[in-house]
Amino acid sequence: MDLTLAQGIVKASALLGAGLCMGMGALGPGVGEGFVAGKACEGIARSPENASLITRTMLVGQAVSESTGIYSLVIALLLIFST
Amino acid sequence: MAFTIEQIQIAAYLGAGLCVGIGAVTTGIGSGIIAGEGARAIVKQPKANEQIFRTMLIGQAAAQTAGIFALVISMLLIYGRSDSIEGGWFKAAAYLAAGIAMGFGSVGPSLGAGYSGGQACKSIARMPKHGNAIMGNMLIGQALSQTSAIFALVVSFLLLYSIPNQPVDISLGKLIVKTVALLGAGLCIGFGTLGPGMGIGFVAGKANDMMGRFPDEKSNIMRTMFLGSAVSESTAIYSLVISFLLIFAL
Repeated sequence: MDLTLAQGIVKASALLGAGLCMGMGALGPGVGEGFVAGKACEGIARSPENASLITRTMLVGQAVSESTGIYSLVIALLLIFST
Repeated sequence: MAFTIEQIQIAAYLGAGLCVGIGAVTTGIGSGIIAGEGARAIVKQPKANEQIFRTMLIGQAAAQTAGIFALVISMLLIYGRSDSIEGGWFKAAAYLAAGIAMGFGSVGPSLGAGYSGGQACKSIARMPKHGNAIMGNMLIGQALSQTSAIFALVVSFLLLYSIPNQPVDISLGKLIVKTVALLGAGLCIGFGTLGPGMGIGFVAGKANDMMGRFPDEKSNIMRTMFLGSAVSESTAIYSLVISFLLIFAL
């Protein structure tokens, strides 16, 4: 299959969009999950008897903040493979 | 527009400048944070000054790693590339993308390693007796936050050395797709490592801080630090996957 110039520009923009989408999309979850884990370290050090409760809360919170990262991944894959 | 060899050179030099220029900004900030916290720690605990000074220097060296990666990629872009007219737009785009990837890729890890080292200095001033454990934890935390810089380095190397020459009979549409995909791969891993690098740095910094306050909880703190940074790293791995797809699957 050979692309015309217009189709090429559409596909190229979709790919650039995919790169920017995953790149920027990884920023928020990365910082957010790091903040959660940092505060969990603090919490466990202050009250070690609640370690399992804090670890559970940390993992649930990180899973929720991860969701936007996964949205970006899905959109990037859609942009790469279905345009 | 006819393709000349100067276009590859322009892309490579632009990439080299962006790479070390952006990389140097945050490497400087990261080392500066450590030096500042180190100076404050010595004021607070002058008796432990040798230990704090040593931690400060080791922490700064570790925080410079991402900046050194950026320097290496710049040098390779200036002196280590092969200029040939057959490379075409593929090589030009790949060289620019390699510079962007490593330049932006060193931002997050440097800031993260800087925060982690700064908290370690502060924490040694509070608990000089446990200085060695804190310094060990600092190095582990900095290594964790530099992993995303290593992802950026890997993508830069692939862009530098594994992109084929432009085929002679390629259509204009396909040419645009492939060159823009290479630029997208560089931007993707460049920005994608920013968040995880800073996030893991924050985790490691808090862990260092708490090791100085509650040294008995060392194993619990380290376990949480590993678990938390592994989860934060996941988005950097997604970016790496998308970069690989953009480089190789198209």
